[in-house]
Amino acid sequence: MTSTPLAAPTAPPRSISGKRPLSRAGSILLLFLGGVLTLAPFYFMFIFATHPRQEIFSLPPPTWFGHDLTNNYESLLSRMPFWRNLWNSLYLAVLTTATTLFFCTLGGYAFAMYEFKGKSWLFGLLLATLLIPSTLNIVPFALIMQALGWIDTPRALWIPGMANAFGIFLMRQYIGSAIPRELVEAARIDGATEFTTFRKVIVPLTGPAMATLGLVTFVQSWNGFLGPLIIFRSAETYTAPLALRTLQGIANTDWGALMCGVALTVVPLLILFAFASRRLIDGLTSGALKG
Amino acid sequence: MKIQRLFVAAALLSVSLAAAQKTTLTIGVFPDLDSVVKAALPGFNKLYPDIDVKINSLAYADHHNALTTALSTGKGANDVEAIDFGYVAKFAEGNGMTDLSKAPYNAGALASKFVGFTFPQATTQDGRIVAMPTDIGPGSMFYRTDLLAKAGVKPSQLNASWDSYITNGKKVVAANPGTFLIPDASEAAQIILRTGLKAGDGLYFDKSNKVLISPDNARFVKAFTVAKQIRDAKLDAKAGGAFSPEWTTAFQKGNLATEFSGAWLVGHMQNWLAKDFTGKWNAQNLPGNTFASWGGSFYGIPTQSANKDAAWKLVQYLTTNAAQQVLAFKTTGAFPALKAGQTDAVFNQGVVYLGNQKARLLWRTAAAKIQPLDVNKLDPIADQIVSDALGSVLDGSKDIPTALADAQRLVERRTR
Amino acid sequence: MTAPPAKLTPTPPIPKVGGWDNFQRKYAPYIFISPFFLLFFVFGLFPILFNAYLSVHEWQPGSGLGDMKFVGLRNFTDNLTDPTFWLSLKNTAILAVESGLPQHLIAIPLAFAINMGLKRAQSFITAIYFLPYITSVVAISVIFFTLFSWQYGVLNAALNSLHQIPILGVLFPADKINWLGERAFVQPSIAMVIVWRYVGWNMLLYLSGLQAIPGELYEAAAVDGATRSEQFRFITLPLLRPTIFLAVTLSLIGGFQLFEEPFILTNGGGGVGQAGLTTIMYMFRTYNAYSDAGLAAAMAWLLFIVIGLLTLVNNFAFGRSGTGNNEAAK
Repeated sequence: MTSTPLAAPTAPPRSISGKRPLSRAGSILLLFLGGVLTLAPFYFMFIFATHPRQEIFSLPPPTWFGHDLTNNYESLLSRMPFWRNLWNSLYLAVLTTATTLFFCTLGGYAFAMYEFKGKSWLFGLLLATLLIPSTLNIVPFALIMQALGWIDTPRALWIPGMANAFGIFLMRQYIGSAIPRELVEAARIDGATEFTTFRKVIVPLTGPAMATLGLVTFVQSWNGFLGPLIIFRSAETYTAPLALRTLQGIANTDWGALMCGVALTVVPLLILFAFASRRLIDGLTSGALKG
Repeated sequence: MKIQRLFVAAALLSVSLAAAQKTTLTIGVFPDLDSVVKAALPGFNKLYPDIDVKINSLAYADHHNALTTALSTGKGANDVEAIDFGYVAKFAEGNGMTDLSKAPYNAGALASKFVGFTFPQATTQDGRIVAMPTDIGPGSMFYRTDLLAKAGVKPSQLNASWDSYITNGKKVVAANPGTFLIPDASEAAQIILRTGLKAGDGLYFDKSNKVLISPDNARFVKAFTVAKQIRDAKLDAKAGGAFSPEWTTAFQKGNLATEFSGAWLVGHMQNWLAKDFTGKWNAQNLPGNTFASWGGSFYGIPTQSANKDAAWKLVQYLTTNAAQQVLAFKTTGAFPALKAGQTDAVFNQGVVYLGNQKARLLWRTAAAKIQPLDVNKLDPIADQIVSDALGSVLDGSKDIPTALADAQRLVERRTR
Repeated sequence: MTAPPAKLTPTPPIPKVGGWDNFQRKYAPYIFISPFFLLFFVFGLFPILFNAYLSVHEWQPGSGLGDMKFVGLRNFTDNLTDPTFWLSLKNTAILAVESGLPQHLIAIPLAFAINMGLKRAQSFITAIYFLPYITSVVAISVIFFTLFSWQYGVLNAALNSLHQIPILGVLFPADKINWLGERAFVQPSIAMVIVWRYVGWNMLLYLSGLQAIPGELYEAAAVDGATRSEQFRFITLPLLRPTIFLAVTLSLIGGFQLFEEPFILTNGGGGVGQAGLTTIMYMFRTYNAYSDAGLAAAMAWLLFIVIGLLTLVNNFAFGRSGTGNNEAAK
């Protein structure tokens, strides 16, 4: 309703401005409906966390919070050192994200801003590694980690992933389109070394892309499962997803406790997302991944 | 005096030795075996105070995957590993698990103490014993007395034969609108496939590795036919495997008239699955006077373990100690594989949930009658292919001879 | 560390630029990209070589590394003559299209709408659509089972109540649909979950692409009397091409490595008629349940070739406009 007077001056032909409120309301309605559909499963995760398992699979399923949150929570704590596992996840995810951001930005910068011998060949090789199905790597990965003596230590997971092809690809796309080369040239003329240029010129300008990459990396590390399964060997070193899976027996799964753990595990991600999303949008406006 | 002093000195010595030589043993398990081992430790430590046991529990599939990786790479396995019966054949290949038939274990001598069908499952063709049985799942037909009564059907009419199961099952469903006779039609086929085998035959292969699946094999044809009849008569809830959400809900709502499963199902029904139906469920033998086992677990010792002596002590305690086997039964309903574990007074008591029926005696008798199945390393492949073929028959996309012929061809191309 | 030598050589080859300066400028890019390649050689190359070695051997995982037996190319020919392998490839292709296409068809207009109309609620709406991406797989499996259940599912209950509506009701099915238990519905059900999970991620990519399109272009078009849909067609889509290329490439690679969702929704079994069996699932099954590591490794190589070919086709279809990221920059 209020948008009509605002929209009118920028759109002179009456026929179009007359259509606008309707199509606008329509698209907002669609957005809203889509949002509800998207949000519903997420909502149920929190609802289920407050119900015992026989209620979770009843019909109709519970649609509002129940009274079993404390029961579920106690049952969860009796089965695993949950907070310890959550801390392990946090430690791993923070290290993975920090190192990934540094090395991928560095690599992306090199591929975006430099001309050097073998560049296209090396970049092609980098992209090709994205195509390799990683599901079969279980045994060789375990062999390497045993040879290095890294079994049961988090570094077995964050070191191999800290400079990954996807991250370098993403940062190269962003830096190449969003940062003018003149800025880099100017810094060189001022006598800065290449690394100083990177640190003082490039890093401050890549905030939004870093927010995207950081978010994706953090989420993947946080929810990661196959890697921790190979590396971690005892209840004290398990990450949260791995520990939560131990609740899933072939027959006897305490779904209430499991959902409680799952809901608690997603809370740190929500907090992170709340912080990252501002940067994401701000940055996007300044022209990420421009064509 | 002198003797006493000597005794004290010996005791002191043994204490200090124990403190110095305390062994830490790790055991890898999956739920609910973790509860069993947890309950067993106080008793075990009374016997062996110098052995510290650490439990590493993972989800069912994860546990077996982690064990596969550890055996493949030769490192990272626990000193004792729980193995579900479905995986025993897999870990029997290669030399990842210690051969318990050899000295100092001599497990072969213990075989007669266990229910007959268990040891052959863990014994390879060349006679190695890779694991010790701890629990079994003697199967029975569970049925709702109230639903049957409403249709005027007696349990003996249901389990006389598969034909009479279907004929009378139709009456039960007709008299109780909204209910189903069985969670999934494929269950019937799986039971028929596992019973009435010729001696020496495996499920899918005979002794000489010849594929038994064929449109001419009566066992397969009957299994597929019965399942198809159940599906076509709209008697099943199409719930897929046990513990699927569909299956769980059907149970909770009391929409199932019968279910075939191991004795352990009662514990689940009583605790959460069908809480509201206490006294309304009962147990009888499977249709057609057949006997089968649902699940079962074993303990083995990986060859890479550095504490094999202590590990063997723990395995022995968990599997051959009658008191412990009874404790496990009371903790999670894990039915003892050890015969001596089945003579406790508790077996003569009625099961409250089953309307005080003395069902444990029924299960004990059934357990003794279960035939051993010869395992083949290609069983998992054949299993998958046959259940796919069954799925195609049930949804009407293939007829039985075609499905079996296709399955036969798919399995045969794997036998090199 | 290396700076002093630069001072020791007082005759620099290029005036004004010191030796160290020259050196670090010349080699900086190599140093900057070296972590990736170093890590790749240590942690990435060995698995590839191991799998290549494995693909010409027969080996049961679980029996120790000493037990490998050389079999030549048998694993490759076995896969190529296995009907289930071809079925899994077909399923993967269908699922990639059924889940990939809607993702982009929803994400592009969605991003357009958010970009155009909702300046203030932008981050809120973006957050809502991005939430599925951060939800854990365990939660997803439980929730979608309760949604998809045949007799007791929320989805069927909703469709059934819609069927009760007088005239419109004809559009909705009268009988309950066995979403995960009937051949025809397995793939659409899986695709639905994937779309739900990844629309937000694609939307984020497109939103970033859209926000780089100068607003003056739209204003000028509006002055010329272009409608929103015309603006979308003639301004947005052409300028979004590079972003579409990036997003489609990632979907393609992800789609052909589809594992988690079909695996969970079919309980690892592939569903009725194996309609939900993807190639990665089949490879996992071959390795894990069938204990045939060599056959699985050969399958991985075959899949790698397929994905590589498709990426080339995609590259060709979008032409050079997709890859050149600098030419359109300001």
